[in-house]
Amino acid sequence: MDTAVTPAPTPAPVTRPAGEAAPAGSPPGGGHPRGRTPTGRARRENLAGYLFMSPWIAGFLLLTAGPMVASLYFAFTDYNLFDAPRWIGLDNFTEMFGDPRWRTSVEVTGWYVVIGTPLKLAAALGVALLLNQSRRGQGFYRAAFYAPSLIGASVSIAIVWRAIFSDGAAVDRGQQLLGMDAGGWIGDPDRIIYALVALTVWQFGAPMVIFLAGLKQVPRELYEAAQVDGASPWRRFWHITLPMISPVLFFNVLLETIHSFQIFGSAYIIGSQGNACGPADGTLVYTCYLYIQGFENSRMGLASAMAWMLLLAVGLVTAVLFWSQRRWVHYEEGAR
Amino acid sequence: MRTQGTVDRRSLLKVAGSSLAALGLTAAGCGTGSGSGDGTVTIRYTWWGSDDRAKRINQSIALFEKKFPKIKVKTDFQPYADFWKKFNTQASGGNAPDVFQNAIGFLRKYDAKNVLLDLREQAEAGNLRLDGFRAGLEKFGEVDGKLLGIPVGSNSMALVVDQAVFTEAGVTPKPGWTWDEYHAALARIQQSQGRAGDAGPYGIMYLYDLYLRQQGKAFFTTSGLGFTEADLTDWWTKAYERVRSGVYADPKKTIQAKPKSAVTAGLAGSEFTWDNFAVRYTAEGKSTYGLAPIPTTDGRKTGQYLGSLMLSASKRTKHPKEVAQFIDFMVHDPEVGRIMGYDRGVPATDAQFQAYVPTDEVGKQIAAYEKQLVESRVLEPITPHPAGADVCEAAFLRLAEEMSLGKRPVADAVKQYFTEAKTALSS
Repeated sequence: MDTAVTPAPTPAPVTRPAGEAAPAGSPPGGGHPRGRTPTGRARRENLAGYLFMSPWIAGFLLLTAGPMVASLYFAFTDYNLFDAPRWIGLDNFTEMFGDPRWRTSVEVTGWYVVIGTPLKLAAALGVALLLNQSRRGQGFYRAAFYAPSLIGASVSIAIVWRAIFSDGAAVDRGQQLLGMDAGGWIGDPDRIIYALVALTVWQFGAPMVIFLAGLKQVPRELYEAAQVDGASPWRRFWHITLPMISPVLFFNVLLETIHSFQIFGSAYIIGSQGNACGPADGTLVYTCYLYIQGFENSRMGLASAMAWMLLLAVGLVTAVLFWSQRRWVHYEEGAR
Repeated sequence: MRTQGTVDRRSLLKVAGSSLAALGLTAAGCGTGSGSGDGTVTIRYTWWGSDDRAKRINQSIALFEKKFPKIKVKTDFQPYADFWKKFNTQASGGNAPDVFQNAIGFLRKYDAKNVLLDLREQAEAGNLRLDGFRAGLEKFGEVDGKLLGIPVGSNSMALVVDQAVFTEAGVTPKPGWTWDEYHAALARIQQSQGRAGDAGPYGIMYLYDLYLRQQGKAFFTTSGLGFTEADLTDWWTKAYERVRSGVYADPKKTIQAKPKSAVTAGLAGSEFTWDNFAVRYTAEGKSTYGLAPIPTTDGRKTGQYLGSLMLSASKRTKHPKEVAQFIDFMVHDPEVGRIMGYDRGVPATDAQFQAYVPTDEVGKQIAAYEKQLVESRVLEPITPHPAGADVCEAAFLRLAEEMSLGKRPVADAVKQYFTEAKTALSS
């Protein structure tokens, strides 16, 4: 109904190449300035530029690059923070792979990524589709759905979450209404992970906003043509919407997957009562175990090795996603 | 234009310079507190514990600063586990607090890492009095002839009971009662009161230590574990049966009740803990709570010893004298004794012990409990706690929980425990 009202072929608002929505394939912006040698003034301007950037450059070198190089070195040492690191070659890595608790942490994280990310993206896309229609109070809804992703990572929300999923609280009572007498999820090592999944899905607002931006870019005439041909809403979604927003979808999949691998705060807060990231390692996500090895057991060498292993794994997943995009991501002509 | 540019660059450099200077200042500010021009010295003091403890300590410090106007005390506190993570990180950076709360399980660990100050020298210089301690407590902080900690109070394991539940079930624990009698009592509570008899003792390292000591063993030797896989298999197998039958509380429920204890949450009739924690139960729950004796194997021996929280100093402190004076004040001053009460156990020195006469029910019970321990001569010398004891304690608690939840068969949990303990004690 609502779409039909719009006057026919007004060209889609802005048709510049998918802008922020396609960071993956877009060419490096700007290009070089003229190829002449810099004059004294230009050089001074460069200097000023670098000076302005210096706090960030210093920050990057001192707080990011430096520690990263150090941790790469520590990964091959036995280092307890107090004594000088002792070179032990690949021992940290062999110990890691032989450690059943490490494998548990990989399983818990894998499970969280595989369940949580698709559910979150599905929720984001679903709500974005609903919000893509012009309705009154749309701005309000958009803000309301976006809000959780602003506050969702906070400690207080994690504590509230813990309370909601405990014995006798909202979720438990809901279950009882449905005739399930299963108790709260927080005490159950097999179900507590779903409390974490629910928390990440609840924060679908950030990808939703990106999806919305993508949906606005889909030319209306495509839908109109399809409608004339009698295509059902489902077919229009499958054959027009999805291919048209696939760069945005790719961007969201990539971002959310990487983000999921790094989960720490909520798992640590929701899972730790007595034992860190429990019960019975039910919330022992990878970074949590890394933290335990580093700061509880003072094994910084092993923790560094774990950190580099995580980086490798995330890098590998990212590479696979990039490789796969040629099969399912469609860039508009000229945008590639 | 040109001049304009120069001016810009100059001010730019100023900005950059001042921000660098600010960075430097911040870095300097992170260093240990030290003296200033007028001879005032600042020392840092950190501890673990509740808000209530912090309130009492801050009151004590106010007294100290009044008496020693040239010494300022900066404080910080966290819950137990967080405290040690923070402490470990600070100590490794050579920035340990000047004075901090300590316990037996950490003495050897941080002595081996060269963190702890030998307070003997300060004691000999007269800045720290070692006389006037009760029950030989001044020896508790000694390791290999070094004086690494000064006790502030004594405590011992006890069974905290919900008195209403025990009375209604018709159960009265007596000194010397056996583990069989204790478990029969728990079963009676379960049948008559419809709640578990105990929160589950299987994960408490310090209780299992007592159980082992009753049989002439101990949790630790000087370099390793003092029990066998068969010992632990037996202890956990029986525990798992009792969790299943409901004599011990359902771990799923007790986990969710936290930070409340299973006893005050009404999930269990009793639980083992340190006697000075009894104060906390009354504040937390609605019933009345009391202390019962540790069950025995032979009707006599409880395996108990007096434990203690201590104050230790950092080897790198720039003010060893002031630190010693502060510790001396905190353990000997009668007014501090009155302020602290039994929060960190029964005060270690006679002066503070006599200064505080408990008027509340819990305080009286704690005093009576420790008096009874001393008089019935059940106390024995403490056994060693090697470096790594703290990691062993955490692993014990965790694997016991996995076992109790049925996530790990007992045999598997025992094997994993021995693997982890070996790593912790060898590093």
